[in-house]
Amino acid sequence: MITTDNLTKSYGDTLVLDRLNLNIKAGELYCLLGANGAGKTTTINLLLGFIKPTSGNAFINGLAVSEDPKKTKKHLAYIPENLMLYPSLSAVENLDYFSGIGGTHLSKSQLEAFLDEAGLQKVAFHQRISTFSKGMRQKVGIALALAKNANVLLLDEPTSGLDPKASNEFGLLLQKLRNKGVATLMATHDLFRAKEIATHIGIMKSGQLRQEFLATDISLSDLEHAYLKTMDYKELAL
Amino acid sequence: MYQFNSKYELKSLLRNGWIQLMTLLLLGLFLFAFYNGNEKVDKRKNDIQAAFNEVKESDQNMLILLDSVQRGMEVSASRWTIPTKPMAVGNYHPRVAAMNPGPLAFVATGQSDLFSHYIKPKASGDDMALNFTEISNPVQQLFGSFDLAFVIIYLLPLIIIAFTYNVLSSEKESGTLRLLASQPISMRSWVFQKMGIRLFWVVLMIGVVLILVSVIIPSGVNIVELLPVFGVTLGYIFFWFALAFAVNLWVGSSSKNAIALIGLWLVFVLLIPSVLNQMGNALYPMPSRTLMINEMRSAKAEATKKQDQILDNFLRDHPEYAINDPNQNRSFYHRYMASQQLVREELQPVVGRFEQQLQNQQQWISQLKWISPAIIVQQELNALAGSSTKDYENYRKQVTAFAESWRQHLLPFLYSNEPFSTDDYENLPEFQYQRLTSDTTLISIIALVFIALIGVILGFLKGVGSQSTEKFITQ
Repeated sequence: MITTDNLTKSYGDTLVLDRLNLNIKAGELYCLLGANGAGKTTTINLLLGFIKPTSGNAFINGLAVSEDPKKTKKHLAYIPENLMLYPSLSAVENLDYFSGIGGTHLSKSQLEAFLDEAGLQKVAFHQRISTFSKGMRQKVGIALALAKNANVLLLDEPTSGLDPKASNEFGLLLQKLRNKGVATLMATHDLFRAKEIATHIGIMKSGQLRQEFLATDISLSDLEHAYLKTMDYKELAL
Repeated sequence: MYQFNSKYELKSLLRNGWIQLMTLLLLGLFLFAFYNGNEKVDKRKNDIQAAFNEVKESDQNMLILLDSVQRGMEVSASRWTIPTKPMAVGNYHPRVAAMNPGPLAFVATGQSDLFSHYIKPKASGDDMALNFTEISNPVQQLFGSFDLAFVIIYLLPLIIIAFTYNVLSSEKESGTLRLLASQPISMRSWVFQKMGIRLFWVVLMIGVVLILVSVIIPSGVNIVELLPVFGVTLGYIFFWFALAFAVNLWVGSSSKNAIALIGLWLVFVLLIPSVLNQMGNALYPMPSRTLMINEMRSAKAEATKKQDQILDNFLRDHPEYAINDPNQNRSFYHRYMASQQLVREELQPVVGRFEQQLQNQQQWISQLKWISPAIIVQQELNALAGSSTKDYENYRKQVTAFAESWRQHLLPFLYSNEPFSTDDYENLPEFQYQRLTSDTTLISIIALVFIALIGVILGFLKGVGSQSTEKFITQ
């Protein structure tokens, strides 16, 4: 579903992503951990086709992103750190617009059903987005993924800034999508949430994927220890 | 994509206070310009009507006097004003040579506030050419006329800039760009469609105004007559939207886009027309008008000295006047009118130089107008309104021809020493202004659309995979 083959990106002499190899299958949720500047967002930008790789390839459902980014975007949904929608439109209207321009035409009841499935309260369906909290906007983002019937989900630090309840709700939604067979790549700093919802966890540093774990094989404290060690925070890791 | 873009873009426009304000401003400006232009046309019509009324009144007095003289009654009028004398008719009862405003005159003031709209050419008058002297109102020149052409050429682009400068950049600044760019769409097509929808909105507003105007304006202008104006305006709007499309894709942030578009407005609307105008004046300077007046006076003085000789030559050239006249009385006007003919011939090269330079200037601007859509639109709207330099030149030529026919109608009475009678009144020539029709409207519209297409192509040439695009989306 999500594959990278020696994916590399550099700006001049600065290497920001170094030969990244990932293979995320249907129903898997891969959490990429790493400090700022580790290359997590660059990976997502490359998978979205926002930037072109210096070498290597990124594939979505077996289709090369650099060859036809428009085609690969049909199969994926993306939720950035701070999902912004059109403030003068309601949740239903935003969902209708973003799914519609991508070619998915839905009825009003279908749109409402997706928002409901994403956990948005019914009272908010027809309220303008300008009144929404970040957590509510993220739910609209999940509804968009559901509406698009995307089998690939790319998330760039989606839980940062969410309160614990909203973050927990968001985690449950991701698990729901995972159970539906969606392949998810999530860049995050949140070790706790990663351990809780991921199937696979990778730790990046300086554009390189330094360590990979199966989430079931590692405890939260071991994950924290491994993370700090990778980041060279040895005194904290002891 | 288009269906959803149009549906939600229109919804957003209707819910956006700034856009609503711009729309109201647009409507207000157009309606005020229509009102203002119409007021000017009404004043012009009233002035012409007043001149006709004056002539009517003067003619009635003339007919009463003629009737009294023909009945052998005593009349209390100066000898030289009694209308049995053809020169009294020619000088004291001239006809009105009026340039009546056309149905679209309210569109563009053009040259109409610089030149006279009616002239009463006298039989012995030689100062008629001076009536065409530009009478410039410095305040008017500073601010220009607030007519429809001013709103279309100067203000409409600014409103379009306010409508369009941040179509793409606002998405980045508000944070929706990344979500948009993650959809399976072409960003260039998306911007193009958004522009198209805003273009539709502006065109709709202007269409509504034109329909309103065709209903409101009492002069009876109908919507069909307004279509060429609408067409030219549409071409100009298309040009500015195309420019904004290219700037949105090539430049970047909202502030940079706004500065770039305002800069282009300055270049196309102010700089190029001013430079071309100045260059026209520098390359083809108009001869001094004072010099022309001095030359006219010298020629007249010379002719006055030789009036007897001139009259003899004139009568030799026109033996019909001598043959039909039994008494052969020769007064001041016999000599004067003969000498005037000579003066006109001598002044022809001086007047010709003026005309030639004016023509050269116009030709210079006409050849280079294609580099600024603002000049194309100004010239076309002036032509449609009948207030272009060409229209006033056409009017001047018609008045000069009429003045000649007025003189030629009365000269046989003068040289045959025949009195003018009430029966001759009906045969006096009348001036009928023949309006020019603009045959360049379609070419102008095509040219505007062609220039606009260059902007659209420039926008589509912006490489999506280029490094600046990468930076634009990801930073």
